[in-house]
Amino acid sequence: MSFDILLGISIIVFLAGLFIRLSSWLSQSIDPENNTIPLGTRFSKAVSGIFSTVFSADIIKIVQSFFVDFILQKRILDKSLYRWITHALIFISFILLLFFHAFGTFTFNLFGSEYISTLNPSLALRNVLGILALAGVILAIYRRMKLRSQRLTSYSSDWGALAFIAVIMLSGFFLEGARISSYTIYQEMVEEYGDYDGEEAVALEAYWVAANGLHSPNFATAPDGELVELGRELNQDGSCVECHASNSSAFVSFSFSKIIGPLSAAIGDTTITAIFWFLHIGACLAFLAWLPFSKMFHIISAPISLAINRVMGKSSDDPVNALNRQMIGLSACTHCGSCTMECSSMMFYESFQNDFILPSEKVQFLKKIAAGKDVDQQTLKRLQKGLYVCTSCDRCTDICPSGINLRDLFINSRYLLLEKGMIETSMLSHFSFPLALAQKYAGSHLKALKAVHEVFKSKFKSLPSFMGQISLSKNKLLDNTSYNSCYSCQRCTNICPVVRNYENPAEALGMMPHQIIFSLGIGNTDLALGSQMIWSCSTCYLCQEHCPNKVELTDIFYRLKNIAINKIEAGDN
Amino acid sequence: MKFAFFQGCNIPVRIEQYAKSTQAVFKKFGVDLVEVRDFNCCGYPVRNVDEKAYILPSVRNMAVAEKLGMDIIVICNCCFASLMKAKNIIENDSQLKEELNLILAKEDLKYNGTAAIKHYLTVLYSDIGINTIAKNLVYKVKDLNVAVIQGCHVLRPREVTRFDNSFVPSITDSLVTCTGAANLEWQGKLECCGAALAGINDKLSHELLTDKVDGAKKAGANFITPICSYCHLQFDTTQRNITPDNQEILPVLLYPQLLGLCLGISSEELGIQENSTISSKNVESLKLSLGPPVEEKKKRKRKKKENV
Repeated sequence: MSFDILLGISIIVFLAGLFIRLSSWLSQSIDPENNTIPLGTRFSKAVSGIFSTVFSADIIKIVQSFFVDFILQKRILDKSLYRWITHALIFISFILLLFFHAFGTFTFNLFGSEYISTLNPSLALRNVLGILALAGVILAIYRRMKLRSQRLTSYSSDWGALAFIAVIMLSGFFLEGARISSYTIYQEMVEEYGDYDGEEAVALEAYWVAANGLHSPNFATAPDGELVELGRELNQDGSCVECHASNSSAFVSFSFSKIIGPLSAAIGDTTITAIFWFLHIGACLAFLAWLPFSKMFHIISAPISLAINRVMGKSSDDPVNALNRQMIGLSACTHCGSCTMECSSMMFYESFQNDFILPSEKVQFLKKIAAGKDVDQQTLKRLQKGLYVCTSCDRCTDICPSGINLRDLFINSRYLLLEKGMIETSMLSHFSFPLALAQKYAGSHLKALKAVHEVFKSKFKSLPSFMGQISLSKNKLLDNTSYNSCYSCQRCTNICPVVRNYENPAEALGMMPHQIIFSLGIGNTDLALGSQMIWSCSTCYLCQEHCPNKVELTDIFYRLKNIAINKIEAGDN
Repeated sequence: MKFAFFQGCNIPVRIEQYAKSTQAVFKKFGVDLVEVRDFNCCGYPVRNVDEKAYILPSVRNMAVAEKLGMDIIVICNCCFASLMKAKNIIENDSQLKEELNLILAKEDLKYNGTAAIKHYLTVLYSDIGINTIAKNLVYKVKDLNVAVIQGCHVLRPREVTRFDNSFVPSITDSLVTCTGAANLEWQGKLECCGAALAGINDKLSHELLTDKVDGAKKAGANFITPICSYCHLQFDTTQRNITPDNQEILPVLLYPQLLGLCLGISSEELGIQENSTISSKNVESLKLSLGPPVEEKKKRKRKKKENV
């Protein structure tokens, strides 16, 4: 009875969680432009998308995805055999245990036979599968520890998921071990199925003590060999063997029973059995209830995400379903860290120590953004930087074992945050290049870029607005002092393709290259930092190459840009 | 010969045909270009932001190649310059070297400086050699005007890149002319494509690009041949984005694609059609311009004479 109540509760929690997660696919969003697509539109688009896929040639892709992505898990196999083995051990064992143990009665009925848990193959299979799943857990733990040096981060939720599986398997072994050694259960069995008395009963018991792991109070020492042999014959000839294979088939639980036996003698075998029963059943039911609220939800969302990935490819034509897909993807992340391990920007993480540069960490946080949770300004700013320090190499998207379209997710989040008006100095880097090529959210990009330029204008002096006396001083900011050799021949300015591009370069650029070098020469770095020229430099190095006095102009401009960005970041607005 | 093939971030996802055609060409000469999944970004994108952050990724890449015991071959100019710059700086700054090695040590990597960095044109020109290339030509192109845009970061600063004479470069020219193509002298050949300003100052970036496209067209170019992956994207993607419908687009042909055709590699294998500015008409005319190499003609004539 208590089992039914516990099962009922966990199923209710599971269904409620499932409902919450599924509805988030259609209600949550990360979208800089269409923040308020009504639920109805998203639902109908999703349904029509499913219909148009199912009733078209694309259905083949879904079937393909089921076998290749879901059953075979090819995306994991392509990247790492180790990970594939780890995942397969856990995944396959778990599924088989679910069907042939938890739903055993149902599954065996399906094949027209009866599920008898005490007969082989069930008796042995449970143990084999349990051990395989535990091996998978150990491999997974080892991977997470070993790859820490390669920036793979693990949360308590990651360890928790592994621990959960381990507890389910181990408690199962202990429960079975307790039942094997339990004298009470033995007595019940004999009462129900056997008809022995006197010497026969003693012989049978001796045999079960000797061969089947029974812990009987009647046998403090090992039973006599002849007695055991008689018991064995009784066991073979009688009804026992029809329904109960040798407990040694359950090789793990059988050895556990040796430990539990003495324990139950002390505490009482029914108590021990009950404790492990509650532990095992409790862990299984808690797992069920916890599933939709954890990364284990990927059991449901990842196959769907993978199928969508196969049908839609990397680009999504329909913006509404593109959004739906992103939200499904967000719920399919297992924090496995595959993306982070191969992220092109991994060394930028080492330099800037911003977790959000790593794709796997971005995703965890984007879940909060999608859910519309309040996030403090400082964290948002770090997230925005992390989103921008990305080379757009698409490696994360190509590698994700759950088929999440991380690229689109990151593009959308990047512009969603930029739309909030926080200054992003990284926009002035070449991370902007692929964004300019893709021309997505071009309006938002320009707006945010303009805001950055405004900040620079207000922070540094420019030549036209410069008033007062210029005094000579020593420059302390630049380590490159080649500007000292300048003799103002203006070769740099004359050869500059950017200067040549403007009819009135002074107006467009603030200062010409030779003027910047001159201002550095007299110790006025601030003027140089405020010049539009450094941000308009095409870095073609013509000036530096042609300078007769080896002034390293382009390198100096790079340094000035570094300093300017640093100053803005330090004196945060 | 075997190299660790450094493709950078743009090529694998946006210019796959550059890697594909280069690999196909090098295979003809028995050079194996090994893809290394452990390579990361060269650091170039962050150069405006922080110098040290710019150096570190390249130092790691060199350490990865060292561990594999291979030299690095690069096709992107900006990646090439970043690797060379990092090598240059770290070789002259033992303190920085130690500091960055400390970061690398976490993943059991160490930079010693034993891996050489080579631009693929250098390998073609010096390691394989123009003569060997010429001997292996199955075709030569005729009446084909090619405007090369060299790309800034492979030439300059010369002290760092050590690629070619930065004022009067000749390596690329010799490699182009050996295919029989007319290598145009044109304004803009050694200048900037505007890529470094894309997304930062798009207007200026586009003006610099248009200036080059117009210059090459004016010189009579049938194709533009960018060496750098950034230049390629400017000409092959941005040009299409900004050119009005009524104006003609200058098609892009990568150097390994040109050489590959002359080596008898199919246009499909070279991914010529994957260049978004190239039309099937362009490909047809390109194929039509393929003729027998001169040397073979002479041989045939000699044979004929012998037969007579």
